[in-house]
Amino acid sequence: MPAASVTDMSDGDTGRGGDRIASVGTAFRILEAVRERDSVGVTELAEALELPKSTVHHYLATLADDGYLAAEDGRYRLGLGLFTLGATARTGERIFHVAKPNVDRLADATGEQARLVVERDGRGITLYQATGDEVDDPPTHAGDVEELHCSAAGKAFLAELPADRLDAFLADRALEARTPNTITDPDELRDALSTVRDRGVAFDDEERDEGVRCVASAVSDRSGELLGAISVSAPLDRMPDERFRSEIPSRLHNVVGVVEFNTTYSEWSDAL
Amino acid sequence: MDDDAPRMDIGLVGLGEHGETHAEFLEELDHTVHAVDLDPRAKERFRERYDATMYEGLDELFAAGIDAAIISTPNKFHETAALKAFDAGLDVLIEKPLAHDLASAERIVERAEETDSICMCGYFHRFRNRCRLAKAYVESGRLGEVTHVDARYMRRRGVPGLGTWYTSREIAGGGALIDVGSFVVDLVLDFYDWPELEAVIATTRSDFGDREDYAYLEMWGEDDEAKMYDVEDSVTAFCEFEGGRTAHLEVAWAANARRRHEYNIRGTEAGVSLDITTPLESVDPSGRNHRDFRLYEARSDVVDHYVDSELVPPANDPFRDELATFLAAVETGQSPDRCTAEEALAVQRVLDRIYEAADRGRV
Repeated sequence: MPAASVTDMSDGDTGRGGDRIASVGTAFRILEAVRERDSVGVTELAEALELPKSTVHHYLATLADDGYLAAEDGRYRLGLGLFTLGATARTGERIFHVAKPNVDRLADATGEQARLVVERDGRGITLYQATGDEVDDPPTHAGDVEELHCSAAGKAFLAELPADRLDAFLADRALEARTPNTITDPDELRDALSTVRDRGVAFDDEERDEGVRCVASAVSDRSGELLGAISVSAPLDRMPDERFRSEIPSRLHNVVGVVEFNTTYSEWSDAL
Repeated sequence: MDDDAPRMDIGLVGLGEHGETHAEFLEELDHTVHAVDLDPRAKERFRERYDATMYEGLDELFAAGIDAAIISTPNKFHETAALKAFDAGLDVLIEKPLAHDLASAERIVERAEETDSICMCGYFHRFRNRCRLAKAYVESGRLGEVTHVDARYMRRRGVPGLGTWYTSREIAGGGALIDVGSFVVDLVLDFYDWPELEAVIATTRSDFGDREDYAYLEMWGEDDEAKMYDVEDSVTAFCEFEGGRTAHLEVAWAANARRRHEYNIRGTEAGVSLDITTPLESVDPSGRNHRDFRLYEARSDVVDHYVDSELVPPANDPFRDELATFLAAVETGQSPDRCTAEEALAVQRVLDRIYEAADRGRV
């Protein structure tokens, strides 16, 4: 197909090592560091990043001028210019539009927190979330990033990876323990993923946060491409075994199936 | 089929099981098949099996100079394809049910009328000789006044492709009722000559879908990876139509009961029992599996006695006759005499009322 060759050409050049612009990298390191700290001063940031204070100051001032940081009493927070970029980036994700109404319905039907998570660069990003009546203070937010090995959505992704990519993923990192339940042994994780593949649903039984259970199922399109995962999480007391192992998985199967069909036929659906 | 009928260019939208059956008959009749689907797997399978021109999208297909379109997508997507086809000036045959819900069905009929297009809906059992004959007996008055129809479409273990879109409320619009039950409603309404539904009591059940021990003894369609199941697998409804005429409907994809598809039409002078039970895997042109087609009467010559007569019409292939009727309608520009969009909309209204009654009963 002609479309494929165009894609091949534009993606062909992956060896970017030589022409990376260092200052762009630094600017984004600074933004990431600000995000991790909510609000931060120049001195603290310079120390954390091991950069000269004057350099950090120039970056912060430039980013604040352009609206990507907000300055207040000598401290910096992320600016809404980033929200505009982020929201636009999300709007560009087809899965967001197709899944959103179903995630809303799932939150409504369960009363709990439902999320659409996509995978980028080996991590899960919450693209969208909705909360039901039971949830007062959601523990995660849109844009949050999570490790794959300890979350339900992450395990749903990993289970869909071909063997060589899973090997590469596991060779690439240590499986960090977030709770006593986190699976940190690669072989144990492989076994767990094989169960995920059989059932079409992944569980996080207090493996990411103590006292929280989460169930997720991967969303693929009809050509088999992995698009994301949809999850439902709740505190332990509202997620007893029957609900955790049976009711929520069955709801997820319904929702994921609908999202997959709607994705395939999105051009033929007036809902979009 | 008239061998002199012109060869036409027909666009198939949706290349699943029904799309393939249409393609087979169209190729047999030397029509040219143009095809589109958005599901890459369905497209690939179709491309391997049929000699058709493939398209990337609806606009491209409808601009390709075709004579008519046949839509057999998942129910929820009938409307988009149908409206675009009407707007492109095409006549359309839509697989049954007309749409996944009543509002969508109404929009389809409205646009067909606005654009003055022929719109037919694939309730093919109406083309079955047995069903046509039963209807003719009703119309002739031979049965007297028909006051009750007892209708059953029951499979023992026949949930369609457990886990495909047929078992998703959002995509299909419902379960056993909107799938096979719509055939039953269509025939019952036709026997009664399309009366208003005055009252309905109904119950829907979901007894089999989420069972891990489900025995896959009979299947329709492929068993897909998706595991959707949020619809009913059986329905019982009692309908009262204008004039106090009634119908009892039993519909099941799965039930611990004998598999059957039959109608007992009870008139004041005579009754007809019509059994059109078919094997699951085909629309069965042969009629070999049809057990019973009888006229039940009582006479008083010499002694009062019963007369049970067997009715033996020739078997036909209703699916093919439906397609031929549609193609003839496209050719002549005359709307077909049955399975019109208006009738299909009446069916959809009754389906909607039955679901509504079942929901009400659940409160």
